[in-house]
Amino acid sequence: MITLNEVSKSFKGNKAIDNLSLNIVEGEILGLLGANGAGKSTTINMLLGFITPDSGQIRISDIDVISNSETARKLVGYIPENVNLYPHLSGIENLDYFCRIANLKYTKSELKEFLNTCGLETKAHKQKVSSYSKGMRQKVGIAIAFAKKAKVLLLDEPASGLDPLASNELSMLLKSLASSGTTILMASHDIFRVREVCHRIGILKNGILVKELNSKDVSANELEALYLKYMQN
Amino acid sequence: MRQIITNEWRLLLRNKILLRLCIGFLLVFVLAIFLSSKQYQKQIASYKIAKDELREQWESIDSMNPHSAAHYGTYVFKPTNVLTNLDEGVNRVTGNVLRVEGHVQNEMVHSEASQMTSISKFGKLKASLLLQYIVPLLLIFLSFSSVNSEREQGRLKILLLQSPNLPKLMMSKALAIWLFGILLLSFTVLIYTLLNLKSFSSDIVYRLVLFMISYSLYYFIVVGLTVFLTARFKNATLALTSMIGIWILWTVFVPNIIMSSVEKWHPLPSRNEFKTAMQEDRSKGIDGHNPKDERGKALEEKILAEYKVDSLSQLPINFDGIRMQEDEEYGNIVWDKHFGNLSEVLQKQKKKVQLFGVFSPLISLQNSSMGYAGNDNLHHQLFLRQVEDYRRVFIKELNDEHAYGGSKTGDWGWKAKNEFFRSIKDFNYKNTNLNSVWNYYIMDNIFLVLWSIATVGLILFGTKRMDIV
Repeated sequence: MITLNEVSKSFKGNKAIDNLSLNIVEGEILGLLGANGAGKSTTINMLLGFITPDSGQIRISDIDVISNSETARKLVGYIPENVNLYPHLSGIENLDYFCRIANLKYTKSELKEFLNTCGLETKAHKQKVSSYSKGMRQKVGIAIAFAKKAKVLLLDEPASGLDPLASNELSMLLKSLASSGTTILMASHDIFRVREVCHRIGILKNGILVKELNSKDVSANELEALYLKYMQN
Repeated sequence: MRQIITNEWRLLLRNKILLRLCIGFLLVFVLAIFLSSKQYQKQIASYKIAKDELREQWESIDSMNPHSAAHYGTYVFKPTNVLTNLDEGVNRVTGNVLRVEGHVQNEMVHSEASQMTSISKFGKLKASLLLQYIVPLLLIFLSFSSVNSEREQGRLKILLLQSPNLPKLMMSKALAIWLFGILLLSFTVLIYTLLNLKSFSSDIVYRLVLFMISYSLYYFIVVGLTVFLTARFKNATLALTSMIGIWILWTVFVPNIIMSSVEKWHPLPSRNEFKTAMQEDRSKGIDGHNPKDERGKALEEKILAEYKVDSLSQLPINFDGIRMQEDEEYGNIVWDKHFGNLSEVLQKQKKKVQLFGVFSPLISLQNSSMGYAGNDNLHHQLFLRQVEDYRRVFIKELNDEHAYGGSKTGDWGWKAKNEFFRSIKDFNYKNTNLNSVWNYYIMDNIFLVLWSIATVGLILFGTKRMDIV
């Protein structure tokens, strides 16, 4: 579903991504671990078509993202670290608006259903987003991708700043989406969350994919040790 | 597109700070228009009182020598256009009252402005101050905030995933903010209309529609350029500074540069130069070969021959009246020449100023705004022409009475009766119909339209490669 083939990107002579190749199949969750500046966000922005790589190929569901980014974006949902919605609108109004500009017309009950599915309590639907916690905003963000029926979900540090309960809810939600066929790429610092949620894990260092492994094959402690080893070297 | 516009409006209306700002803004508008309307009504009333009083004074002249009456003269009032409430134009410097007197034409285009060397002093504004300077500034901040907040808050990426067409998104935002400007404009015009409904005519409505179109185009240009710059520059401060810089350039620098340049290219004579040249032509003759005394001698010989007499004392009429009228008519030729020259210079200046609309659409807006409000220099010159035409008829009637009313040459004590003074008609100003002068503003309209088209182009093609990350 998601393929990156020998992708490289430099900014002012500094290599942000160096010959990165990844393949994520349908319904799979891949976690990208790495320190700040490792290239996680650049990878996501290249998948979104907002950054053009210097070389290599990027495909989402067989669509070439580089030459056809607008078409590719139609298949993608994106959850940034901070889902900043329109603060003066309620959760349901935000969802409605983002659906409408994508030419998706849902009834109120359908919109409520999306929000419920993504774990946002019914009483919060009509509250202004300015009163939402980070976790609640993320749920609306995921509901936007869900309502769009995104085949691919890209998450950039989604669990950062979430309380353990919200973080756990997010994990459950992502697993549920993956089991229904959504392909997910999640960039994070959170080793334990990545280990828990993702099927596969990649460790990025200075734009290079230094390690790729199945989460089943390592315990959380082993993953942490491995991660630290790569970061220290 | 409709969804984005609706959402922008919803955000504007739900933003309490902005809402309070807008309410305050609208109150200032209402106050400005209300005070202008009051002043307008007061002015109209005082003009009417003064006009009636002057007419009454004139009609109550029991008996007076016509020549003394010519110097007694009268005053004419330029009826204040109802649109003055929106754009006072040049009226503030030209004034609305002129004296009508024998031998004395209005030597310069206008009294107060004649002290100035440049038409740059023209066009200081009223409610138009808010419409031309403050509303655009508000629109700049709103447009900037609308685009920049999407990028800074990280919503732009999500928006583009939902609706991948970036130029369409930017155009929708520009239209939403532009409509907000139109709302402020419409509100102003509506309040103004309600307060002045009685004074409305089809010409005023026509002028008002064109007035609104000009402002609408200008607001679109301002909003569109801000959206474009904010989209193009990744650095928000740079984007806002650039647009404010453009606004300052348009409102402060370009007008001053234009005015001083135009004044150098096509200089206007000073009041003294103008007056001296007129006096010289009048006494020495336009071509310098037929001085006043020679002209007088030739006229005397002609009249004596006409009446087949040898001396002025034998004439059955008063030669002084004929001489004065002849002098008046020569003076009219001199005035026409100088006024024509002056008009030509002013026309050249105006055309050059209009051409600068290429660099600043505000110039085009100001020209058309004053023009449609009927308060620009062109309208003022047309008023002067009407006053001068009236003055000529007025003085001719007095001179003719002096010549043929029953007195003899040298009889300066002879007096015309009250009936005669009553028979002289009062000045009646004919409003300039916009259809007759519309072509003077074509260039301003073309520039506003061209700027708008260029702005659409910038948004549709210039924002395609916006830096999202």
